[in-house]
Amino acid sequence: MITKLTQLLSVGALALGASFGTAHAAETVKVGVLHSLSGTMAISETSLRDVLLFTFDEINAKGGVLGKKIEPVVVDGASNWPLFAEKAKQLLEQDKVAVTFGCWTSVSRKSVLPVYEKNNGLLFYPVQYEGEEESQNVAYTAEAVNQQATPAVDYYLADGKKKFYLLGSDYVYPQTTNLVLLEYLLSKGVKLENIGGGFKKDESGKIISAGKYTPFGHTDYQQIVSEIKQFAASGDACVISTLNGDTNVPFFKEYAAAGLSAEKCPVVSFSISEDEFRGLPAKQLVGQLGCWTYFQSINTPANKKFVADFQAWLKTTKTPGIVKDGRVTCSPMVLSYVGVYLWKAAVEKAGSFDVDKVRAAYKSGLSFDGPGGKVTTQKNMHVTKNVFIGETKADGQFKIVKSFDNVYGEPWLKGKFKAK
Amino acid sequence: MDRILTMNFFHRARRLLVFAALTIGLVAHAADPARPIIAQAALAETPAQRIAIITSLIGSGDESIQGLLAAWKEDALFVYTAPDGAKIPVQLSGDKDDQDAQTAARVDTGQPLLSPAGQPLRLIARELTAVEHTSALRRAMKAVLDLLDLSTPNLKKRISAIQTLGFAQDAEKLPALRARQKLETVPAAQLALREAIALIGLKDASTEVKLASLQELEALHPIGSADALKTALKEAEAAPHPSLTAAARAALNAVDRHLTTVNFFGTLFRGLSLGSILLVVALGLAITFGLMGVINMAHGEMIAVGAYTTYVVQNVFGPGLALSPFGFSFHLPGMNTGGWVYESYFLFALPLSFLSAALVGIAMERTVIQWLYRRPLESLLATWGVSLFLQQFFRRVFGSNNVQVSSPSYLSDNWTFNDIIFGWNRVFVIGFAGLIVLGVWLVLTRTSLGLLIRAVMQNRNMASCMGVRTERVNMLTFGLGSGLAGLAGAFLSQIGNVGPSLGQSYIVDCFMTVVVGGVGNLPGTVVSAFGIGLADQSLQQILLNPVLGKITVLVAIILFLQWRPAGIFVTKSRSLEG
Repeated sequence: MITKLTQLLSVGALALGASFGTAHAAETVKVGVLHSLSGTMAISETSLRDVLLFTFDEINAKGGVLGKKIEPVVVDGASNWPLFAEKAKQLLEQDKVAVTFGCWTSVSRKSVLPVYEKNNGLLFYPVQYEGEEESQNVAYTAEAVNQQATPAVDYYLADGKKKFYLLGSDYVYPQTTNLVLLEYLLSKGVKLENIGGGFKKDESGKIISAGKYTPFGHTDYQQIVSEIKQFAASGDACVISTLNGDTNVPFFKEYAAAGLSAEKCPVVSFSISEDEFRGLPAKQLVGQLGCWTYFQSINTPANKKFVADFQAWLKTTKTPGIVKDGRVTCSPMVLSYVGVYLWKAAVEKAGSFDVDKVRAAYKSGLSFDGPGGKVTTQKNMHVTKNVFIGETKADGQFKIVKSFDNVYGEPWLKGKFKAK
Repeated sequence: MDRILTMNFFHRARRLLVFAALTIGLVAHAADPARPIIAQAALAETPAQRIAIITSLIGSGDESIQGLLAAWKEDALFVYTAPDGAKIPVQLSGDKDDQDAQTAARVDTGQPLLSPAGQPLRLIARELTAVEHTSALRRAMKAVLDLLDLSTPNLKKRISAIQTLGFAQDAEKLPALRARQKLETVPAAQLALREAIALIGLKDASTEVKLASLQELEALHPIGSADALKTALKEAEAAPHPSLTAAARAALNAVDRHLTTVNFFGTLFRGLSLGSILLVVALGLAITFGLMGVINMAHGEMIAVGAYTTYVVQNVFGPGLALSPFGFSFHLPGMNTGGWVYESYFLFALPLSFLSAALVGIAMERTVIQWLYRRPLESLLATWGVSLFLQQFFRRVFGSNNVQVSSPSYLSDNWTFNDIIFGWNRVFVIGFAGLIVLGVWLVLTRTSLGLLIRAVMQNRNMASCMGVRTERVNMLTFGLGSGLAGLAGAFLSQIGNVGPSLGQSYIVDCFMTVVVGGVGNLPGTVVSAFGIGLADQSLQQILLNPVLGKITVLVAIILFLQWRPAGIFVTKSRSLEG
């Protein structure tokens, strides 16, 4: 009798324990964060990790997603592309995360893509990219080429510019973007001889590369700058730069020393945001342009609240290794933030964390009012958003000079623009 | 369309009113007719309206325009809302007082802004909205200023204004240019005027004027006219008009010939400047590696020490510097200087960079290298370790991001002779390299230290037997080599990045220069630095591709070393190690 009673009790205790255990598990949902926290890309990507953790805390404080708290699983891609794929595999197969937010460079995205497609995972990708891709397993909150490069060209054309010099770092994003830009410029009636930087043609005479390219870490821009100066000698010229990272410093120093200024020949850079500005000589960049779907200087209550909340969170967070001083917000950070909220909206609409259901909900056109204004998801996994053009100020912020509302994100642009 | 028409009408009506007021003399300062117009532009609702109003100022010779538009560009124009709700554009100027308030002048009259009680008001900039300006508006302002600038005493500005007018090819500006031509005395500006008038002449209706303009452009061959000439050539061919076609071809050819000359001498200059940079960064290594035989992988980090010293000196001359090395945080006080005192920071940074890098080098020699003189291959590993250690040290002290070093104005402009650009920073490095080489040569050949250095480097044991304190000489020689690297770092901070990995981007170039020149041979290093610099720049100019240029240089160097493994100059040595 007594043994039976103890048996009964222990079974009950087990059952209780089990039910308690499941109840505890049901309270959280695992979410992956896949960024480089070491290596060359760490400077940029660590900021995205920070803003993601901030967003999770913000959502958890308001009750989480479908009543569950977000439990981040942060892994380090270490600026090593094969390692990105391994870490992605670990997130999907071992940790069984519901969704992943991550990647910066296009090559890291390309390397994790097969893993997400094989395991039917979902990756939110937040950084401007070259397009020509549309995976069902990637939600591109990033700027497509027509949400950054072509609006900048439109701005220049409206400003009366007639000559365009293309310059970039030598890798997939600048190369592809410049080819699209070449087609776009020709379609707008700009003559081929007014597009500078040189062309490479294949045997059939088709242009396979447009513009001037320098490797990462290039330091000597004398020849290129003197070429730009001759190109711009007849006025109405501008430079479209996809130079990456710290090669901008020798370029802009040489540019200023050759007597070129924003008024003589402005440069629009697609890779310099507020965050990159922390290591650039501000004086030499004043008046040059940037084009993003968000600037910290956007003067709306929603953005002011976002910036203030993020900075307050930085002060109080106990996560180790977060830089607390001199922090700014920039477009990739906001697109990460917006991505989390869009995922939340999709989950809540689907009523489930199941990737197929979430994807269907995501494609149905969800909207979120973010710091950069309203964003709306599209059928092609991209996002409709506002585009801003800003002029650089000496304090590393941008003064917004033009905005384009609700620009549809179009990844397939090659061959879309026909020359007149 | 209707809306635009109404808007235009509205504008005209408003401007008419302003002019009416002016003519009747209601406005106190009728001498400054531009003031009310600029005030009106500041209050306009859309950028397009602003541009239209500003453009209407073209041709006005009013002296107030320059100051007001400059203030507008510098965000010193504000809109003040009076207690009665009237919006008044004001210009804030003068020193800020305790509350950050400044004196305010009405844009429309130039008089101080008065309170209802008749007292002058002082306003605080951050409480007002600055009048906005877009780049299109600034262009419009520039067009207005260009005509004003035709008579500015600043030669550079005057020439730029003349050129802008020429490229616009607007016949309306011709009278202004001709008027200026009569007054102009400076040859460079006269030349610019002739070019501008000829360019405008290309658009003239009469064939004679066109022909004369083409001949003028052929004689002057300005680079900027190439586009206009191409257009003129196409028009002449389409017409068809044989004499114009021939003249346009001749002018284009003249411009092309001129471009070839410019590129030739430009490349020569750029090659010299790149060679000087290579020389400056490699000379220290030519001593530590070439003379002493230490395979010094930490040479790049010595360069970085110099660059970071420049950064610190710059901040001490400016607002000071907050550092948080290894968890401690301290604030380096700044002197808050401005103007030329601040700009002179670089001159102080140069000797300090030499000293700091020399000290780090001496410390490194005492702790690590002195045990390794007989084991050169192990010096490679040990100095590589030191280099990693130093890089991490920079990260912990200055952060892993690059730091900002701003160039003083005397290093960030250029002279342009006959369209060839001579950047001041580049001219500086060529002179700098010359001085350093001269200095090193004097030290090595004209001082007793130099004699000892040469003796010890030739045969350490023999020198030691003769009573030379070889330890001390080794230490000082390594300090000299490291100090030279520090000087290179100070200069590199003016043209590129300053960050923990600065040294890594130059170390390969350094070894390349020293090895090609011949290890142990200082004149060889000089020749190889200029040779590599000139070859690199010429190939870039010919191939128009920076990557291919560099690869070609590297391949050429590999082939060269196959042919002459010991470099350009072979050092004959009596030592058995060699």
